[in-house]
Amino acid sequence: MIGVRKTVLIAVAAVVAAGAAVAVSAAAPKQAQTVTIGWAYDGSGAMAPFDGPALATAKSYVATLNKRSKRFKLRIVTCDTQGNKPAVAKACAARLLGQGAQVIFTTCDVDFAAPVVQESINAGRLTIAPCIGTDQMGPKRFGPKGRLAFSFGNVAQDEGSAMAEYAWSRGWRSASLATDTVIVYFRNVVQAFEARWRQLGGTIVTKETYQSLGGNQASWQNVVTRLNARKADVIVTSTAAAFGAQVPIINGLRTLGNNTPILNSWAGDGNYWYPANPKVTNYYYVTYASAFGDDPNRLVNQMVQRNKDAIAKAGSTGGFITGPAAIDGLLVALRRTNGNTSGAALAAQMERFRNVPTLSGKVSFSRALHTVFGRQYRVMQVQQNQPKFLRLIKAKVVPKI
Amino acid sequence: MSGPLASGLTEFVERATELQVQVDAISLGAIFALMAVGIGLVFGVLRLINFAYGQLIMAGGFALAFASEQGWSVWVGIALCGVVVLALSLVMERAVFRPLRGQSPAVMLIATFAVAFLLQSIALLWFGPLGKTAASLATLNQTVSVGGVEIRKIAIVAIVAAAVCLGLLLLLLERTAVGLHMRAAAMDFHTARLVGVRANRVSGAAVLASGVLAAVVAVLLTVQFPTVTPTFALRETIIVLAGVVVGGMTRLVSATLGGFAIGYVSGVLGAALPTEQSQYLPSFVFGLVILVLLLRPEGLFARGPRTVERV
Repeated sequence: MIGVRKTVLIAVAAVVAAGAAVAVSAAAPKQAQTVTIGWAYDGSGAMAPFDGPALATAKSYVATLNKRSKRFKLRIVTCDTQGNKPAVAKACAARLLGQGAQVIFTTCDVDFAAPVVQESINAGRLTIAPCIGTDQMGPKRFGPKGRLAFSFGNVAQDEGSAMAEYAWSRGWRSASLATDTVIVYFRNVVQAFEARWRQLGGTIVTKETYQSLGGNQASWQNVVTRLNARKADVIVTSTAAAFGAQVPIINGLRTLGNNTPILNSWAGDGNYWYPANPKVTNYYYVTYASAFGDDPNRLVNQMVQRNKDAIAKAGSTGGFITGPAAIDGLLVALRRTNGNTSGAALAAQMERFRNVPTLSGKVSFSRALHTVFGRQYRVMQVQQNQPKFLRLIKAKVVPKI
Repeated sequence: MSGPLASGLTEFVERATELQVQVDAISLGAIFALMAVGIGLVFGVLRLINFAYGQLIMAGGFALAFASEQGWSVWVGIALCGVVVLALSLVMERAVFRPLRGQSPAVMLIATFAVAFLLQSIALLWFGPLGKTAASLATLNQTVSVGGVEIRKIAIVAIVAAAVCLGLLLLLLERTAVGLHMRAAAMDFHTARLVGVRANRVSGAAVLASGVLAAVVAVLLTVQFPTVTPTFALRETIIVLAGVVVGGMTRLVSATLGGFAIGYVSGVLGAALPTEQSQYLPSFVFGLVILVLLLRPEGLFARGPRTVERV
């Protein structure tokens, strides 16, 4: 009898102890998982106007999210690639990995990003570019390990197509093309414009090429002369002022009295380059988001308001939205992997993204395409150095180039 | 010659000989000639290849951009550009060139590299990577009709400005005491000092004259390329240095002609090459440079081995 009582007592004690343990563990708050993002950005070169705003807003976005989030706390460690010098960029990647980065963010051009991407995917880390605009951020460029590489930028084919559809909707029917050959993204945008433009029935008046960064400045004047010699409804290019040729070409055309509309890609965003004389007029571009407080998305405008100084300092390009958008995407992938930060696990989830909502709109990836397509672009117009949002446009067709 | 090659060549020659192309090329040649004189003058007197010359122009560009940002008048901007470039030239001479005057050419060259990168880094810190836009003289980009051809005013202004500057420099060298001293120092610095030429005065005058030319170039360049970044004029400096060597470093005239020639050739090739090949322009230009140096290593416009005046 004593034995039975003893057994019952032991059993009760065990149950009580187990119950207490469960109660204690349930009452104690579960510690949030900290995920370290290593961000290699260009702080001083041609990509600075694009990397800068993305990083600045991402930092403030992460600070806000960290206050709210109970599950994940994000920590950003940074390294300046100093103009995307390959050796510095590679060293940056190694340093960030050494600092425990579980995910690597990189600069917004695939050629410049390559040293960082290579180091990062070799280490098995998910590698994200907030705004690379080609389809090369993925297996196409980096082979099987490129499965770990993604961009929250727009694929150039999509962007060039949207530009063509906008130009067509304006009633423009003839276009002069000026291709900046310096990076793949610039070339692909103009190629995509041409492909879609021809599908729509538009005519090409002339095709000029130039090299902005590191190119011969004398040849830019020649491009101006040639573009000015042939009348077109619109002049289409894809280049960035920070790369050098944009201002001389636009200025050159305007001072020659040529007021033909000029249509640029997201690269031509920002107000940091507006000259006082002649003022930028009849200039259009497509972008992710308006940095000037008139975006159709209220949340975007709030973000602009919160990060006013940082965005202005970095040239007021729409690139500011790409940092938070990439953070949104990363958090979705982290939730889906239950916090597993292995590059392969995160990449597998990201390849399954279909219309995942982010601050920059809905994002889709596929096994083959690791750059965003189907995004709604903001069409911006600049008149007398005053930029304003005109309308949204989404490419109906993504042409093959 | 077969069809496509012949028609390609005909098209090339037709483009290259257009009046507009010729004026633009001469204008670019004139600007490069001014830079070549600035570099050649300092080399003649100090035996120093001033790699930081482009950064003087960059500083002048930022001064112009600053003035136009402040809404100051064009003339205030130009005056500020002159003051900044001359002050910087004098500081450079006093702090670096003068103390290193007796050192080997390699030491002095590396010193100018250091100065160049220092100034570039300071500009990066002060003005950021995006640079500033100088647009005070943008109206000079407008055209005038000459014989039915639209020519940019800046092309004419550049040619005239270069001619005036070179004329004044010639007067300085030929008709003034300091010019005579500079010429003497250029021939033999040591002997010139022995006969009473004041080394510091001569060196300062050469750097100052070179600075004046840099300020003029800054004004002319920013009209055509208004975005001033920390690397502004760096590329031009490298091309002009190649031009100076091609022309012949031993004389100021040959260096100037070399600078003009490389600018002119760049302008003509840039316009005459088919647009899809324009990105290869530097390859063509530097290919020609190598060819000229192989055929005439002493320089295209250099005289024979006899003693010549270097400035």
